[in-house]
Amino acid sequence: MEALVNARLPADHEHILHIVALKKKQAEKFTTAFLKKNLTSMTEEKINDIVQHKAVLLHYARKKKERKKIKRTKGLNAKQRRELKVFQLKPENQKYELFLPLHELWKQYIRDLCNGLKPDSNPQNIQQKLLKADFHGAVLTVAKSKCPSYVGTTGILVQEMKHVFKIITMEDKLKVIPKRNSVFAVEIDGFVSHIFGSKFELRSSERSAKKFKVKGTIDL
Amino acid sequence: MYRELEKCPRSLLVCEKSNFENEKSSHDTHVSKHYFNHKVSLVIPECRSLPPKLASVINNFKKYFLIKDLPVYEFLDKDFLENVVWNGALYALSYKTSIDQDNTIALLPSSHLILSVDKDTYEQLGLEGKPSQYNHKQPMRYVVTIDLTEKSMAPGGKRYQRVLSSLKERVPLKSHFLLARHNSGVEGDRVLQSLLARYQWKDHTPVVRSHTLKDLSCPSLRSTDLRGEQHSCDPSSFLEWLGAVSAGVSCDNTATSFTSTYVCPEPNTPVSQALHCTLSGLLLPEDIYSLLQELRRYFDEPKFTSWLSLTVHGFMDSPVSWGDREHGFHKGGENFYNFVLFRNQDYWLHMGTGSNDRCPP
Repeated sequence: MEALVNARLPADHEHILHIVALKKKQAEKFTTAFLKKNLTSMTEEKINDIVQHKAVLLHYARKKKERKKIKRTKGLNAKQRRELKVFQLKPENQKYELFLPLHELWKQYIRDLCNGLKPDSNPQNIQQKLLKADFHGAVLTVAKSKCPSYVGTTGILVQEMKHVFKIITMEDKLKVIPKRNSVFAVEIDGFVSHIFGSKFELRSSERSAKKFKVKGTIDL
Repeated sequence: MYRELEKCPRSLLVCEKSNFENEKSSHDTHVSKHYFNHKVSLVIPECRSLPPKLASVINNFKKYFLIKDLPVYEFLDKDFLENVVWNGALYALSYKTSIDQDNTIALLPSSHLILSVDKDTYEQLGLEGKPSQYNHKQPMRYVVTIDLTEKSMAPGGKRYQRVLSSLKERVPLKSHFLLARHNSGVEGDRVLQSLLARYQWKDHTPVVRSHTLKDLSCPSLRSTDLRGEQHSCDPSSFLEWLGAVSAGVSCDNTATSFTSTYVCPEPNTPVSQALHCTLSGLLLPEDIYSLLQELRRYFDEPKFTSWLSLTVHGFMDSPVSWGDREHGFHKGGENFYNFVLFRNQDYWLHMGTGSNDRCPP
């Protein structure tokens, strides 16, 4: 459109219309003079602005509010975690004594959870509570296992994963024990509960939502 | 009728023929490697009563002890290990425990402690073992062998502590035990007595029963013909005959008898009398060996008979048969050997085992 407006008149049209097309510079000068003459209320700059702004707003549009981009701190991905060894205990921190406070905390937590452990409390109730509880900090003992060398290992649970327990023993050694094919014993205030590891292969967060079914006998 | 019952599970019979004077003859190792013997039976044709020399050997069989509810960890006591076990020749076998359902324990004179335990006990015990050879698809029984002479098993050692804590705290295995000792050192006796004093115990001497059989027919044997190819009876029918004799089955097949139609294998010779003598108890291989030596001397004086036989039965619930070969119980649990001694110091040795057993040596 603009091109059409600014285009020169064809020569034969000049002849028919009896007008002589002005040269480009002359035309510009004429236009500004014409506008100035007719639009006396406006200054030259404003006229220039209008000429420049060719877009015509037909609708009313509200200016969009500019949203501030919240920069979320992206966590590490799995590969980076592995490389940085975030979830691995450093050898200098593998001390049994370091985890004793955690064990105390856990005992406190279980007592609160079970409304105080008394000798006359119902063991089944406690077990129901323990099923959904978190075990980090508990003292675990391997009571039974298909692999004999795991049997008898005792220590504080420092990390629970889907398939393994990581235990720190009295000898300050970190032991990784698979849950499958083992039975663990947890002792608290005289109550000893046995955990069938094969049925426990869940992360502790997932376990709290899982429904455990009652079974008559479970074999390793 | 009952097809399954009629079917016989496999059994093994190893026969060999040799001479006692042969240097390569291995009769002594076969005798000494068969650790747990519960019955010895002697059949001497043409003999009325035990010759005095034989009788004295038989009466000199070592006595054995029966201890009630003895915890297994007592064997690992430092004093006991040093004075009794390592000095050799201590035989201990759990009593009234069935090899196919209970935990069976044996202590061999080679200082090997063998625990044949079921799956649940094994999982709790925490000691390395091997699944039993006679399992089906899923192992239900494991055999744990502990060499007590090993360096790591020295009292105070790491493995010693582990075994001790396993047997003391995790699974306090206990059982009645039959116990016998060949070497009797003064110090060993003292330690053994102090052990016995802490538990209920009783000592036993092997029970001797002998009786004379009258007018029976004996298979005629020739020492050169072990397999019975030259018109004498083959080993299995000979052993069957021996069994019939010791069980008191009549072999005359009379028309009026409805209980047994058993006949003595052909060819046979009538014998006016025969001596059948049995000993039962926990019999030590060393004693059996000296009995065998004495029996060899039986032919020093001229006798009517050309052969005599000595049968030794092992415990059917023993976890081992010969050496540390695993033994199991399927239908009979038999593990036995039989010597047939001939006048010219030739001998036949039959070694037989049931279906849950390795081949005899």
